[in-house]
Amino acid sequence: MCRFSTVLFALAALGGTAAAAQDVTIETARGEVVVPAAPETVVAYDLAAIDTLTALGVDLAGVPDRLYLSAFDSLDVTPVGTLFEPDLEALAGIGPDLIIVGGRSAAQLDSVAQVGAAIDMTIGVDLIADGKARIDAYGTVFEKQDEAAKLQSDLDERLAALKTAAEGKGTALIVLTNGTKMAAYGPGSRFGWLHESTGMAPAIPDLSTQENHGNVLTHEAIAEANPDWLFVLDRGAAVGEDGQSAEQTLNSPLIEQTEAWKNDQIVYLPAAELYIGGGGYQSLMTVIDAMTEALGA
Amino acid sequence: MSRPLGATIAVLVPLILASLMTGAASIHVLDALSDPWTMLVLMESRLPRTLAVLLTGAALSVAGLLLQALVRNRFVGPDTVGTAESAALGLLVITLMAPASPIWVKICVASLSAMAGTALFVALIRRLPPKEIMLVPITGIVLSGVVGSVVVYIAWQEDLMQYITTWLMVGEFSGVVAGRYEMLWFAGAAAGLAWFAADRFVILSLGEEVATGLGLGTKGVMRFGLAVVAVVSAMVVTTVGMIPFVGLVVPNIVSRVMGDNLRRSLPMVAAAGAALLLSCDLLGRLLRYPFEIPVGTVMGFIGSIIFLYLLYRRPARV
Repeated sequence: MCRFSTVLFALAALGGTAAAAQDVTIETARGEVVVPAAPETVVAYDLAAIDTLTALGVDLAGVPDRLYLSAFDSLDVTPVGTLFEPDLEALAGIGPDLIIVGGRSAAQLDSVAQVGAAIDMTIGVDLIADGKARIDAYGTVFEKQDEAAKLQSDLDERLAALKTAAEGKGTALIVLTNGTKMAAYGPGSRFGWLHESTGMAPAIPDLSTQENHGNVLTHEAIAEANPDWLFVLDRGAAVGEDGQSAEQTLNSPLIEQTEAWKNDQIVYLPAAELYIGGGGYQSLMTVIDAMTEALGA
Repeated sequence: MSRPLGATIAVLVPLILASLMTGAASIHVLDALSDPWTMLVLMESRLPRTLAVLLTGAALSVAGLLLQALVRNRFVGPDTVGTAESAALGLLVITLMAPASPIWVKICVASLSAMAGTALFVALIRRLPPKEIMLVPITGIVLSGVVGSVVVYIAWQEDLMQYITTWLMVGEFSGVVAGRYEMLWFAGAAAGLAWFAADRFVILSLGEEVATGLGLGTKGVMRFGLAVVAVVSAMVVTTVGMIPFVGLVVPNIVSRVMGDNLRRSLPMVAAAGAALLLSCDLLGRLLRYPFEIPVGTVMGFIGSIIFLYLLYRRPARV
């Protein structure tokens, strides 16, 4: 009896270690989480996650029904609801080993966790650092550490190139246009990383970081700030709307007085990559390259 | 000129001056003649903005007054009976179906849709028991909620939620520069037309039977009123977005002071609406200077306080 229970105990311990070997601990937006290593069936509800996972060569089993980014046009994956409303039945039908939410879908963590192991990989305001941390975590989970390291070094390389290109280029203002309305973003806001990674000072120093949709701005305010560079994000273009474009919105005699306009230094950023895919590897590269090219000329 | 109107204009003039002097650019308005930059800011930004606010405030208040006369109820405004929501619906539909269509086409569609929505409201309240006056505003709120939810549903499906926020929730003037507000002149003109028909609206507001007995073709007056309300709402929603409460509270305040003689009170309603909206817009510009708080937000806050005050202190005259 005694020997039998010892054997049992040993078996249990063995089983325990075997299970432990298959689990990895990674850093997520909600702290450290233990997830099964090398999950086979993966569903991602976050554009940045889909972006980085695709770059790592991870095959996805389910994604939201609309992906916005042209890079994913060829992605042929089962749709499982939208970013805001996951289709739990379709999700359960896939039977995922791991579900990734983040950003716009972060609030759905509890709801998708009913179907399978789920993690929140939201990329916060500290976009570059968080983006890299996610690459790292995915590398660990999917046992692709080498690929992850490669992506990170590529990213660092491009960031260095951007910083060099931006050196001594003066002040910048990040403006998001939505129809006829404009809003400005400063350091510490969701697009603040553009200031940090270029090292360019904001043309308006005291922009609030609290407003997710920016500081509402008039044409006058832009003329008064007189930025050397205007980085423009057209929200309409980001979600594929037609109608009034950022260019039309900005075109006023007041903005024509700014250094940015006079020197043709208004940069229309890749809208979907910045607004929707923010922090995903390929999106980051696209935005950084676009900025480097515009600044480097 | 009546005394209240004189007093309102006396308030309006300093407000207009303050509006011309308030903005993100640091200029001195008095230098306008000698300094081309100051002149540019004044002509491109300050003056258009001030005019846009004045026209919007005046036109919305007059539209509110007409609507209240049409449905014989003081507790309605173009933003509480579904007119503005219907305009937004029309605007959304045309934006989805023909995004590249010129602005006047969009405004025409929005106007027609606003007219249909308002006509639906008028048809609905005719079936209500005449004594239950609070059922009228409630029906309006329900109808505007229904139309608004259709707009939200379509926008949700099409990823246009943020695009419609200004049409449905917080109108603002921050995007107004020369060349981007001129449609509001038509709204002002439509409201101005109402002055010529003012006496007919007074008769209509006595009730359909009395009006017919007095020899008034009620249908024509009704249609004209609906058209003015719809056109004003559509222009405002299209150019600056929905602005709550102006059309509701201003006619009420004015009628308390001046009674219901529309021909006399119309100019006063227009002036008071312009003054109220301009003060709210100035507040919105100053509270977070040099950034802006949408005038719709400020108006919603101040307007609801005024409305509560009106509800609790019913004047002896009504």
